[in-house]
Amino acid sequence: MVFRRLLRKRWVLGVVFGLSLIYFLSSTLKQEERTIRDRTLLEVRDSDHHIQWKIKFILGNSSRQISQCRNSIQGKSLLTDELGYVCERKDLLVNGCCNVNAPSSSQHVCTSCLANGCCSIYEYCVSCCLQPDKQPLLEHFLNRAAEGFQNLFTAVEDHFELCLAKCRTSSQSVQHENTYRNPQAKYCYGESPPELLPI
Amino acid sequence: MSFSAVIYFLVLILTFYCTENHLAEVAFLSKYKCSCPVRFCNIFCSLSLSFLEYIVVFNGYFTAKARSDFISSALRDVDAVNWRIVRRDNPASDYPSDFEVVEIRQDTRSSLLTLQDHPYIKRVTPQRMVLRSLKLTDRNDTRWVQKWQSWQSSRPLRRTSLSLGSGFWHATGRHSSRRLLRAIPRHVAQILQADVLWQMGHTGSGVKVAVFDTGLSEKHPHFKNVKERTNWTNEKTLDDGLGHGTFVAGVIASMRECQGFAPDSELHIFRVFTNNQVSYTSWFLDAFNYAILKKIDVLNLSIGGPDFMDHPFVDKVWELTANKVIMVSAIGNDGPLYGTLNNPADQMDVIGVGGIDFEDNIARFSSRGMTTWELPGGYGRVKPDIVTYGSGVRGSGLKEGCRSLSGTSVASPVVAGAVTLLASTVLNRELVNPASMKQALIASARRLPGVNMFEQGHGKLDLLRAYQILNSYKPQASLSPSYIDLTECPYMWPYCSQPIYYGGMPAIVNVTILNGMGVTGRIVDKPIWQPYLPQNGDYVDVAVSYSPVLWPWAGYLAVSVSVAKKAASWEGIAQGHVMVTVASPAENDVSNTGEMTSTVKLPVKVKIVPTPPRSKRILWDQYHNLRYPPGYFPRDNLRMKNDPLDWNGDHIHTNFRDMYQHLRSMGYFVEVLGAPITCFDASQYGTLLMVDSEEEYFPEEITKLKRDIDNGLSLIIFSDWYNTSVMRKVKFYDENTRQWWMPDTGGANVPALNDLIAVWGMAFSDGLYEGDFTMADHDMYYASGCSIARFPEDGIVIAQTLKDQGLEVLKQETAVVENVPVLGLYQTPSDGGGRIALYGDSNCIDDSHRQKDCFWLLDALLQYTSYSMTPPSLTHSKNRVVPPTGTDRPLPQRLEGNHLYRYSKVLEAHLGDPKPRPLPACPHLSWAKPQPLNETAPSNLWKHQKLLSVDMDKVVLPNVRLYRPQVRPLSPGESGAWDIPGGIMPGRYNQEVGQTIPMFAFLGAMVVLSFFVVQLTKAKSKPKRRKPRVKRPLYLQQQQQQTPHSGKNPTV
Repeated sequence: MVFRRLLRKRWVLGVVFGLSLIYFLSSTLKQEERTIRDRTLLEVRDSDHHIQWKIKFILGNSSRQISQCRNSIQGKSLLTDELGYVCERKDLLVNGCCNVNAPSSSQHVCTSCLANGCCSIYEYCVSCCLQPDKQPLLEHFLNRAAEGFQNLFTAVEDHFELCLAKCRTSSQSVQHENTYRNPQAKYCYGESPPELLPI
Repeated sequence: MSFSAVIYFLVLILTFYCTENHLAEVAFLSKYKCSCPVRFCNIFCSLSLSFLEYIVVFNGYFTAKARSDFISSALRDVDAVNWRIVRRDNPASDYPSDFEVVEIRQDTRSSLLTLQDHPYIKRVTPQRMVLRSLKLTDRNDTRWVQKWQSWQSSRPLRRTSLSLGSGFWHATGRHSSRRLLRAIPRHVAQILQADVLWQMGHTGSGVKVAVFDTGLSEKHPHFKNVKERTNWTNEKTLDDGLGHGTFVAGVIASMRECQGFAPDSELHIFRVFTNNQVSYTSWFLDAFNYAILKKIDVLNLSIGGPDFMDHPFVDKVWELTANKVIMVSAIGNDGPLYGTLNNPADQMDVIGVGGIDFEDNIARFSSRGMTTWELPGGYGRVKPDIVTYGSGVRGSGLKEGCRSLSGTSVASPVVAGAVTLLASTVLNRELVNPASMKQALIASARRLPGVNMFEQGHGKLDLLRAYQILNSYKPQASLSPSYIDLTECPYMWPYCSQPIYYGGMPAIVNVTILNGMGVTGRIVDKPIWQPYLPQNGDYVDVAVSYSPVLWPWAGYLAVSVSVAKKAASWEGIAQGHVMVTVASPAENDVSNTGEMTSTVKLPVKVKIVPTPPRSKRILWDQYHNLRYPPGYFPRDNLRMKNDPLDWNGDHIHTNFRDMYQHLRSMGYFVEVLGAPITCFDASQYGTLLMVDSEEEYFPEEITKLKRDIDNGLSLIIFSDWYNTSVMRKVKFYDENTRQWWMPDTGGANVPALNDLIAVWGMAFSDGLYEGDFTMADHDMYYASGCSIARFPEDGIVIAQTLKDQGLEVLKQETAVVENVPVLGLYQTPSDGGGRIALYGDSNCIDDSHRQKDCFWLLDALLQYTSYSMTPPSLTHSKNRVVPPTGTDRPLPQRLEGNHLYRYSKVLEAHLGDPKPRPLPACPHLSWAKPQPLNETAPSNLWKHQKLLSVDMDKVVLPNVRLYRPQVRPLSPGESGAWDIPGGIMPGRYNQEVGQTIPMFAFLGAMVVLSFFVVQLTKAKSKPKRRKPRVKRPLYLQQQQQQTPHSGKNPTV
């Protein structure tokens, strides 16, 4: 009875209210933090789920004019820009695009690429992958990409980034960890890993 | 009453809040208790007056010049005073100081008085010399033992995290206690003066740093800007279970307690190493791809392994740096043995970091020696690139607080943090790339005295000078090392240890070209050799080979120096330079002239001596030494189970370094043969030395060697074990490559050696022996060696009693075998023919795992082979036996199905047995056409060769005195003072993330309270309304009666 009486006391209710408020405030704060870091927990949570990819494919009209290009940066002598042109470094314009008129430039070329979608030169792999007709292949791949690739392909933003990332050598490219499955054609835009060659 | 309750509530909250803080403090103290110096009493100090030296203390901080002016003006009035300022050469001497040490020889009393009268001088005290003697056991030894203990749990062939083992991690007391008294214990960021850059407002903001390690827990109190954590391992966690990743991240970006370098940098945590210390190449590949996508700026990899032939990994690291990721990596913890560099730190495009302690000694564990990729034909590159503190550095603990760790994996994040901080200081970020950052670091590094370049690289990291260089940087190419002075000792060891002469194998210096202009570059035309005619440059021939394309950011420039024929009997110094022009496509240049170019000069200085006599010249066979990687070539000492691989290169400048030094001190000239035996002029050399050879021999080599020995060349072979049953026994499953590893040879390739020496009726056996014995009054240890199976009957053979290790390995039984022939000496019968010496074990001249050296034996054998002096101690030994004929036992056969042909330069795969390839052509150097200059070289090549067009004075540091870290001698009890947060950092960093939540709670409570107070006042103004609600006044009375008991209500 004393307890019930006590509960009716205004200050007791106040304390209860205050504590709830404190709890509410602190948990809201935590929540906020969690949304920032959600990405980090993503791959721990759902392992059998599809990747929520958000890639925007820009179809067809690849002759569109853009003032600034991203390109593949790393090449020893060749580069691929985001329109799919491959050119030599000396033919790169200041805006990062390949000089379309240079004799070395060509768009959507699959030189050095095999039928299974693996190429021996990275830049050609990217260029080939940027062909508009490769889009269904890439979408199909994204829908059933292995778990290990979730981090990578959920962070990819568009077709060009996808091709840059897809063509790189990865855990799919090796046998016995320290040797390539196929040292000649190791850059793959396609779904299957490089053909396995004996050591 | 309710009002008092409110007050009570308030008090309660406040007490709670305070206790929480208080508790934290207690935790702090108790933590320090455990790291308090237990062994502290072991260090004794003694003070003595240092004669005639006085410390003059000023009222404030003054520059060296001002201080000297004050003293001279003070002493001007005293006649005939003989005084001088004692120089203090330390990094602090660049900065203003408040004291000076003065030596006064005459008239001391009066000059002291006049000194004290000067307005700026506070006081003058005699200098005391402090002598400390340590009663501790040699700490290096303990460290060494602990290190090996830690290795036992992990196999070294896979990538390991490069901090010393976990047993060592917790032993902080010993180290911190020792350092407490000797060095001023401050955080590594402050020792490197990062606080100067912090004060200028640079804290690493806007730079993305990736930490590839064991992860980081979500709410570590030290980090405020963890952007992302990703897991690439098979363990479903993002948290660090080891503390390695937390520590590394802390050194880079901790913002409190043990402060890191760049607290505002964006941290990206990549978990690539499991709690069981496992990681696979494939995890790294995927994680690196993600780092490229995320456009990481700086990447720290405190992880390394010996396998530089892991092509997918090495290619990926190149790809990473080509995408402008500055990669910093630890050089390895396998010192002090040479030839122990770890990948990826040994790559040209990576900044490889070695460790030093706080007294500027190279840490014993720090890996060193040249890179071994280039063997046998070439010569290794200089690594590590720089060194920095890696011993007893403090960083973040697993959950909270700080801890001390040692290892190059500690040194690596120190540089990574410094790089991050430096990158954030540069306005035009376009200029920051892996090459320019490396150029700035190595050009600014401070060279440590008495340490060679294969241990310290370019020296010790100097953050502020790197800042100055980077902020006046113009894209250019530079060289590492920036000059070749083959006379400079000890920095240019081993080059300085042996002069060059006509007819010798050329000295090769493998220079790395760093190209800050772009990811790709090329060398324009050809490098030009310009000898200085006044300095005998024409006595030198130079051949240069170089990377056809400099990618990514770097390439090699191999300079072979040889002596011209006209200097065959000349002695002196010759100088000149090699000029290289590097061109890169100009990408960001609006004028678009096509290419940027940069020309660098590589000064060359060599010492030439007349060609030594044939008997003094030894040729070391490098060509027939194979190693891990690529194949499994087992250790020469089978007792060393924790280090199963032969991976140090087997070169005279790696793990045979002591032997080389010994031979040099005995006056021999040692040259290296990096080509088949058919490729050298045997008439020039006294002895061919073949140690622990794993390679096969071309038939042409076998016939040529026979001919050479008939013509007077001598041969010494140090063989090693080869037993096919033992080889099958030491196979193992390698988790890293997920396959079985079967050795392709034994310690040495005995069947191949037997083919080589069969013509003289000699052969080694497949016996495997081990044991201690005495030979010619020297204690010897035979560590897994073979015996001599056949020997000509007129030869000298020494036998010993040894244990049969083969039996031990195979059946765990011990058996002692008597009269095992271990040493054989033979004079070939032909007229003027050479001599042959065989010994069954190479371990006693190899630095790795050597227990007792046998350099005396090598001397004796060389006396025999070079001068035909038969050592009497051996010939008259009681252990001399009749040479074995070897007819009782078959000779060892090659292991069936071995894969030696995969790694061999001699064999190639064939249907059935592998067959020798056609003999390759001997390497041919094309000497550069000299373009003589009538010029004199500068006297100091090193100072002359800094980065071009960098004006250090242009970038002014702020008045350092203002922000000078407070250097004060700490007394031992003060150790807790290290961790008082916010000592140096600007105020805003002292706001702890962990404290914001209680702060919010407190504020919330205050809001509630004020709401309540308002309610209360309302209630008080309307007291009538409350009364009717009270239905049972009795209870109220009861309660009022109870209140005095509570004692907390002052109103009653």
